[in-house]
Amino acid sequence: MQWAIATAAFLASAVEFVEAFTIVLVVGVTINWRSSLLGAFAAAATLAVIVATLGVALVKWVPINDFRLAVGIILILFGLKWLKKAILRYSGLKALHDEEAIFEENMAEIRARGGTIAPSFQPFGIVLSYKAVLLEGLEVAFIVITFGSSISKTAAASGILSAALGATAAGVLVITAGAIIQAPLTRVPENTLKFVVGIMLTSFGTFWAAEGFGFAWPLSDAFIPILIAIYLLASYALVSWLKQYKRRASPRPSLPSVERESEGEAPEQEEVRP
Amino acid sequence: MKVIRAIYNFIVGDMTILIGVIITMLVLALISYVGALAPLRVATGIILVVAVLVVLTASLYREIRG
Repeated sequence: MQWAIATAAFLASAVEFVEAFTIVLVVGVTINWRSSLLGAFAAAATLAVIVATLGVALVKWVPINDFRLAVGIILILFGLKWLKKAILRYSGLKALHDEEAIFEENMAEIRARGGTIAPSFQPFGIVLSYKAVLLEGLEVAFIVITFGSSISKTAAASGILSAALGATAAGVLVITAGAIIQAPLTRVPENTLKFVVGIMLTSFGTFWAAEGFGFAWPLSDAFIPILIAIYLLASYALVSWLKQYKRRASPRPSLPSVERESEGEAPEQEEVRP
Repeated sequence: MKVIRAIYNFIVGDMTILIGVIITMLVLALISYVGALAPLRVATGIILVVAVLVVLTASLYREIRG
């Protein structure tokens, strides 16, 4: 066992597992766990096939930057869609005839009647979970192979084994921690969760899309929380702007005639047209 | 046509966001592959963040105006 390689692989993989698990967690809490886990397991199966087929040649054959770019663009599109809806809802400007709201109302009605709603598979949730786990899983595979092969060629096999053990330990740790924190998350209001999902998807999407173009973020993966902070601040500013717009756009409420009379004002005469 | 529309609605469902993101990616691709624009490559991250925020603002503006 080569501890230096195992530790390095553990730390690097933990970051990737946290990123993948964040997406799986938010999909599970906001859409449903069935879709989220199906996407995650499907990605794990795909990953297993890729790794079993290509082995250490994976690093040479999989265009990781192109994959990052594709996933990044899709996450930005998904994220902006969710973020826009959440911002409109927070500012009170969400359209009245909203299909999603109608669906949620129907669901609430069914629950109120004592009925149950079978959690169905949602393609949106499955795709999100699948893409995140596949991308991050590939990155973990890259870490294991590159870290493991970084020592002399004769010891490469034991190096890869040590790196794989380190990565596995990181995966177990992250999944255990996630299983503990998912229960309190279910008590967070749904709108807030959807807003957080929008922020997360947009942040991860921005990060991966730029990496896909070969851009190296300052502080590497540690820049993701900074992106999250930027989008949170911008969203707060947008909500404030929309609230102001709504106040300006809505007509000034007129005083009732009784109140006006008591203030010494004569009630307005209605114009009579022939 | 129905299939394309279903995919469009599934992924984004908003023309401003879709066009905005496509234009951003085209600009970033130009910066990434055209030699004359190489000095801008260090700003890829900032350009992307600003573009995403502009697209979001434009989409919200269109929503309240439309």
